[in-house]
Amino acid sequence: MRMLAMLRAPVRGRLPALHVIAAAALVSQAAIVAAPPGPTAADAQPAAAGAVQGRLDIRRQARAVPRRPTVSDPGAPAPRDLPDLRRGVVYLESAPSRAFEDRAPGRAAIDQRNETFVPHVLAVTVGTVVDFPNSDTTYHNVFSLSRAKRFDLGRYASGKSKSVRMDRAGVVRVFCDIHSHMSAFILVFNHPFFDVTDADGRFRIDGIPAGTYTVMAWYDGETRASRAVTVPAGGEVEFELTVP
Amino acid sequence: MRVLALVVALGVASPLAAQGPPTEPVTFGEGRLVIGGEATATIGPDDPGFFNYSDYAFNALRNLRVHVTTEVRAARHLQFLSEFRLDRSGNVEPFALYARIRPFPDRRFDIQVGRIPPTFGAFARQGYGSGNMLVGTPLAYQYLLSIRPDALPARVDDLLRMRGRGWLSNFPLGNTAPAPGLPMVQSYRLDTGLQVHGVAGMVEWTGAVTSGSLSNPRVTDDNGSRQLAGRVVVRPHASVAFGFSGARGGFLRRELQASLAAGADVADGVQTGVAVDVEYSVGRFLARGEVMRSAWSLPAVPTLRLSDPLTATAAIVEGRYRLWPGVHVAGRVERLDFSTVSSPTRTAEWEAPVDRVELGTGWSVVRNVQVKVSWQRNLRSGGRVRHDTIVAGQLVYWF
Repeated sequence: MRMLAMLRAPVRGRLPALHVIAAAALVSQAAIVAAPPGPTAADAQPAAAGAVQGRLDIRRQARAVPRRPTVSDPGAPAPRDLPDLRRGVVYLESAPSRAFEDRAPGRAAIDQRNETFVPHVLAVTVGTVVDFPNSDTTYHNVFSLSRAKRFDLGRYASGKSKSVRMDRAGVVRVFCDIHSHMSAFILVFNHPFFDVTDADGRFRIDGIPAGTYTVMAWYDGETRASRAVTVPAGGEVEFELTVP
Repeated sequence: MRVLALVVALGVASPLAAQGPPTEPVTFGEGRLVIGGEATATIGPDDPGFFNYSDYAFNALRNLRVHVTTEVRAARHLQFLSEFRLDRSGNVEPFALYARIRPFPDRRFDIQVGRIPPTFGAFARQGYGSGNMLVGTPLAYQYLLSIRPDALPARVDDLLRMRGRGWLSNFPLGNTAPAPGLPMVQSYRLDTGLQVHGVAGMVEWTGAVTSGSLSNPRVTDDNGSRQLAGRVVVRPHASVAFGFSGARGGFLRRELQASLAAGADVADGVQTGVAVDVEYSVGRFLARGEVMRSAWSLPAVPTLRLSDPLTATAAIVEGRYRLWPGVHVAGRVERLDFSTVSSPTRTAEWEAPVDRVELGTGWSVVRNVQVKVSWQRNLRSGGRVRHDTIVAGQLVYWF
C-alpha cells in the first residue's frame, strides 16, 4: 500500500545545540560517495519498509568562506573554485534497533581541487574510510580538531592521497592547514537513514521500518529544522522542510 | 517498534556558538568587503638584556596586539588592502595601506602602491602571531643594533662603546640623545612605495621602489633616497621553495648633514642587503632556513676612518613538527655576526655577536585559537647583560 502525503514543515527556527540520534549499526553510503556502496538500509529491512522523500527548501544559502585577507603577500593569490553550498543532509533522529547491526565499512572520498574540498558535505556511516586525494599542484594539509575525529594528514603533493577512518558518530569539520578558506563537513552516522540533498534540495531515505520518526534537516553546520513523520509499512511519505 | 536507547551526539554547532567571536573572515556587500583580524597576547618575564625589544618602549615578549585587516574589492582590476594595529602603545596605527591593481585580470601580475608588503626576506611574511611557529621574532628582523638613522659615531671607539646597547644607543654626531637603534630588517613597520609582482610557472618575482630602507622603512621620505628591492622565489616542487632577495637604499636622515664635516655626505649612508632562504616541508615536518647579509656604508667622517662598510650577517634555521592534531613542537637556532673595526686601542666586531636558541610548543585549542609556550636562550659577547634565559607564552586568536 502506498501512501503519499505532501507535508510542509513549519518554520521552527534553529534547534538546540546537541541533538541526539539513535545509533544504528547498518551501513549505507550517501549518494555522493564515490566508492562501491555497502549494504543499504533497504537490503537489511523487511520488504514492507517505507521511505521518506521530499525537498529541503533552503531560504538563505550560506556564503563561501573568503580567503583570510592578508597584507603580507606581494600579489593576489591564484583564483580558486567556490564550494557547492546548496546541499544539506536529512536524517532520522532515531532508528530501529535492527539498524545498529551488521555494520560493514565503506569508502568515500573528498577531493582537494582548486583550493576547494569537493564535495563540501559528505555523510557516511561509522567505519567508513574517507580518502583525501590532492588534485592541486600545491601542497594541502587536511586536518580536523573535531571531537568526533581528530586527525592531521600532514602535507602531501599532487597525485597523492591519504585516508581517515571515521570511527565515531558526529560532525567532523575538515580544514586545510595551509589554506584557511578550505573547509568541509563530514557527518558520521551510526545508522543508514540519511541522505545528502541534491543541488535542488531533493532527498530520499529508503528502507525505513514502519513507525513514527523525527526527520532532521542539517545545513551549514547546524540542525535547523525537524518534522515528525509516520512512515506506513511499505508506504512513502513526501514532504518539504524549510530551512530559514 | 522498539527504538534502541543508545544515543550518540551528532555535535552540531549551537546557536550560542554562532553568536560568539567570528571564526572566519567577515564579509559585507556581497563579498566586496572582507574583514579579518588577529589578537595576540604575549607574556614573558623581564628581559634585562633587551634581547627581544623591538624599540625602547616595547618588549616583543610582553605585548598585546590586535590587528584588523580589510580587503575592499572595488573592481575586477582594483583592490584596497589595509591593516590597522593596536598594541601596548595604545595607538591605532596603519601598518599597511595600499591599492592593488591587476591590469590583466586573468594573469598573475599585480601593481601595489602605498604602504606595501615587504619585498626582502622570507620571515617578514610569516607574521607575528599565527604565522610564527614560536613566540619570539628572529634576531635579524627584531634585534636592535647600535646603528641609528639620525646619529653617527665620530670615532671607532664611539662605535665599540655601544656594542650590545642597540636598545638605547647614542653617538656624538647628529642627534646626541639616547634612542633605540635599528634592526637589520624592520618587520614591525612597512615601507611606502610602489611594488610589482608576478608569477610565471614555478617562478614568483617581486620588485619595489620605496622611500625607506630595510632597517628603517618610512611613510615619508627623509633623505631624498629611494630603496630598490627585489625578490625571486623558485618552487621546483610543492615541497621546496628557494628565495633570493636584494635591497639597496639610503638610511640616514637629511638633518644629519648639518653635523657632518665638509666632504661627508649623508647620501653616502646606504644600506645594502642580500638574502637567500629555503623552505622545505613534507608530511608533518616544516623547515626554513635563511641567511642574510647587510652592509651599511657611512659618510666619510674624517675621524672615523672606516675603509669598509659595517656589515652584519644573520643565519636562521627553524623547524616545526606536528606531533598530534593541533599540537606542534618547534625550534629555531640563529646567529647574528658582525664585521670587525679597529681603533687605536682595540679591534673587535662593531656590534656584539648574538646567538639565540628557542624551543617551543603550540596547541590549537580550536582551529583559530592557539596557545604557544617557548624557552629562549640568548648569548651575547658584549654589553651589560651577556646572557639571558626567557620562558614566554602567547595566546593567538584569529578570524
